[in-house]
Amino acid sequence: MSDAATPTPTVPRGSGASSSPVADAWRTLRRRPDTIAAAAVLVFFAVMAAFPRLFTDTSPRSCPIREARTAPQGWGGEHPLGTDALGCDVLATMVHGVRPSLLLAIVVVGVSLVIGVTLGLLAGYYLGWVDYLVSRTVEVFLVIPLLLAALLVLSLFKGVDLGAGTFDVILLPAVVLILFGWMPYARYVRAATLEAKNLDYVTAARSLGASDLRIMGRHVLPNAIGTVTALLPTSVAGVISAEAVLSFLGIGVRPPATSWGIQIEQGSQWVLGGSPHVLLAPLICLVATVLALVVLGDALRDALDPRLSS
Amino acid sequence: MSRTRSAAEEKTVNKDESCAPPPLLEVTDLSVEFRTPAGQVRAVDGLSYRVEAGRTLAIVGESGSGKSVSSLAVLGLLPDTATVTAGTARLDGVDLLALSRKEHRARCGDQVAMVFQDALAALNPVHTVGYQLTEALRARRGMSRADARKRAVELLDLVKVPNAKARVKEYPHEFSGGMRQRVMIASALSLDPAVLIADEPTTALDVTVQAQVLRLLAEIQAERQMGLVLITHDLGVVAGVADDVTVMYAGRAVEQAPVVPAYTAPAHPYTRALLRSIPSASGTGRLSVIPGRPPSLAARPSGCPFHPRCDAARDVCRTEVPPAAVPAKGRMSACHFASDIMAGQEPAPDGADEHSTGRTTAAGNAAATAFDRGDDRGDSGGDHG
Amino acid sequence: MGRYIFRRVLQAVGTLLLVMLLLHLLTTVAIQLNGNPAQAFFGDKVASPAQIAVVEQRFNLDDPCFDQVGNPCLGPFVERLGQYAQGDFGTNLRGREVSDIVATAAPNTLRLFCVVLVTWLALGMVLGSVAARWRGSPGDHGIRLTSVLIDAFPVFVLLIVYRYVVAVPLSRWAEETFGEDSWPPYWFKPSFDPEHPWATVLVPGILLGLAGSAAFIRLVRAGQLESYQGDHVRTARSKGLGERHVVVHHVVRNSSVPVVTAVGLTFTEALGGAVITEGLMNIYGMGGVLWGAVRDDDVGLVLGIVTLLAAVTVVVMIVVDIAYALLDPRIRYE
Repeated sequence: MSDAATPTPTVPRGSGASSSPVADAWRTLRRRPDTIAAAAVLVFFAVMAAFPRLFTDTSPRSCPIREARTAPQGWGGEHPLGTDALGCDVLATMVHGVRPSLLLAIVVVGVSLVIGVTLGLLAGYYLGWVDYLVSRTVEVFLVIPLLLAALLVLSLFKGVDLGAGTFDVILLPAVVLILFGWMPYARYVRAATLEAKNLDYVTAARSLGASDLRIMGRHVLPNAIGTVTALLPTSVAGVISAEAVLSFLGIGVRPPATSWGIQIEQGSQWVLGGSPHVLLAPLICLVATVLALVVLGDALRDALDPRLSS
Repeated sequence: MSRTRSAAEEKTVNKDESCAPPPLLEVTDLSVEFRTPAGQVRAVDGLSYRVEAGRTLAIVGESGSGKSVSSLAVLGLLPDTATVTAGTARLDGVDLLALSRKEHRARCGDQVAMVFQDALAALNPVHTVGYQLTEALRARRGMSRADARKRAVELLDLVKVPNAKARVKEYPHEFSGGMRQRVMIASALSLDPAVLIADEPTTALDVTVQAQVLRLLAEIQAERQMGLVLITHDLGVVAGVADDVTVMYAGRAVEQAPVVPAYTAPAHPYTRALLRSIPSASGTGRLSVIPGRPPSLAARPSGCPFHPRCDAARDVCRTEVPPAAVPAKGRMSACHFASDIMAGQEPAPDGADEHSTGRTTAAGNAAATAFDRGDDRGDSGGDHG
Repeated sequence: MGRYIFRRVLQAVGTLLLVMLLLHLLTTVAIQLNGNPAQAFFGDKVASPAQIAVVEQRFNLDDPCFDQVGNPCLGPFVERLGQYAQGDFGTNLRGREVSDIVATAAPNTLRLFCVVLVTWLALGMVLGSVAARWRGSPGDHGIRLTSVLIDAFPVFVLLIVYRYVVAVPLSRWAEETFGEDSWPPYWFKPSFDPEHPWATVLVPGILLGLAGSAAFIRLVRAGQLESYQGDHVRTARSKGLGERHVVVHHVVRNSSVPVVTAVGLTFTEALGGAVITEGLMNIYGMGGVLWGAVRDDDVGLVLGIVTLLAAVTVVVMIVVDIAYALLDPRIRYE
């Protein structure tokens, strides 16, 4: 009778303590070689954006026309990747084109995330007229496809002069892409908030008198963060390719800054003229970056959304 | 499917080895294992039972005791991570588990059908009730659309859903919980199965509705002389409906008996504890609770798996797995002290229980060959009443 | 059901009005910020007096509100709504009616979308179903890898590579192999041919569809996996129904609900993709016209087409919602 009341819950311990979903996700990610390769690619381009001088001494703006369309000369040559139709060094243009693209992508995704998360959280938490307002706004902005909106607004504001600083050249595309890019985050966060709001521990926290802000920050938001985090790499990739399209049309990043999109536009005309390198160099960089981001996004989705993983 | 079954097979006939009717479904020594990150886990371990025409067998146990898994195994519906590692399930003399997947599937619905617990999830939300009632008839018997519609109405009438003619066109979410469960039953009956397995058919329902659905099941079973396997965690449900009862704990049968003796003189401490934890209407005494939780299947206690929660546990229970004992004719109990428990006595205290153990063990070995595996037998029910 | 549709349409009209208001506000702010209104539309370019006149007439720029930054200019907006209601979507810089341009361009866009939709559904349903059915198999992993690779090539990149690198040699090869009068050379023509609209739209359409199909593959796979684990599938199996019957009537049928929703959401993305596709491949469709208008700084035309495409999007969303209600009986009366 003595030990009748002492059940022995001898549940076997797994290897290592699994503390939180985030820690689990991190462990899963570290084990996958494709994730590590993707991260390496991204770090490489980030370094290129931060310190372009590490990769080239040539200025993208010195363009001697008599050296136009030089074939790639390999490392050590004056123009390792050759020159374009105007005589500008392809490598230099490419290296200096990373910064605006990456900066734009990070700014756009960062600000959209903040706006989307805030509105989604408020809408899901308070419901009522706040929710009505946010939901209708989302609906209105969703009706205009991102690219169409960008085409319209950027051609409307094409004449406005904004200067040539690091941020000035990306200001307009950034504003447009944020304006029409925050909705997915708001929707996801709203749905996750609705779900989390009725969980028992949130109800308990509320009945214990925790403030709304505290409940949102401590209990509701962490529940929503997984889905949204998994979206981020793919969103960054989306902005980078949207920027390329806009620059291709001449309404993205502004001259004198260069970007891969501008370079691709110029290069595309000389492929059949015998200088495919002018197109292929920026194109390969673009694909490499996007591929790395997509792989990362895929791995994150797996790690954070167990429902979809195999 | 026409089955001729004599109405003379009264429910009151004692289960007797010599003159028992041939079983419709006979499960022998069934073992099912799951693949888990922690390794192979045995969810059902050497389970045997038989169901005869016109009789109801109740399988009782807590969640995780393997009662649902064993019936899924019989129908070949185990998830991919589970495998049947041993045993047979004979239906009309054919071992279902030895059949190919396709042949096994062909006998489902037709000879053995199943009613699931959560009818809202178990019915397809995007098809009408009428479609789901006769889906099998149309797909497998080639019944025409018009005949199928007529049959659907008949089936709903059979399970006493009012206004059947209009309701066949509705969707599952438009039904109340009890009505939905009736639809579930009707759809399981559509091919006239010989054996019906009902997996906690009333768990999700209100108490009053529970009684109605159980009565309906009992009526249909009596009328058609089906074999009914009623899986439940609620011993209270069993009393009015079942003929025989199998109590499961940690994947094994710990007691098997006709229902009346099992209630009046349980031969296993776990059964005893379960009975004491049923609230009674007259109930003046405090309600009894079984302390602790069922063991994790991945980490069974040594000896008798029930010993940590047992109020009659002795030293031997911690080290030796109790064999199947036959404390009385037609009964089985996997307890070292089955006879004592059945007689309503506590087993002798440690130090004096040497011969008692030996006696029970000998009886068990002699009589119950089906239960000779032994690594986890229940041992006694704790009561704090 | 009728009431549901009515309510949905009413709501959509409201959304569309708000969208037009949004577009109007954006234009107004642009005009106000640019200062000298009509001229400002042309940026660095020197606009002809005729072009300036078109812009001024288009936006009723004589209204003084365009000189006051922050004034929403609701008067001209109401006037414009009246014009839209009469089917007047303005003119391009050369004075041609936008509605006229759209009428001639829309059929090619429809052709493109037919090809895109078929590509989506074919790739998504087939690959997604295979991956779900044999989950964890090498085929599943291969399909998953494919969908990641598809995602990594934005439609822009696919089309640039196709048009500037692959198409010319391919069409030359097709001409030599099959003869000039056969079909294959037209398939690989690097630009649109109004004489053979279907043939020359085929490959661009497949490429555009390919770019969007990754999301479908994932969605179909996830939806079907969920169905496979569903209790209702177990019930169907317990009735002894054949595996093929179970897959068609209980797995595919149930997972069709999220897939239809995805068609709606992906549609807006595909509209953007259509602009790129038609622009790069010189297809004379709504996207191609828009692309050209952006290059020519024809703001009036850009605005007109974006408004029209927004209206089309609203209609598509209604259709999707109705299809959704038809496929999932649970939401019909909500």
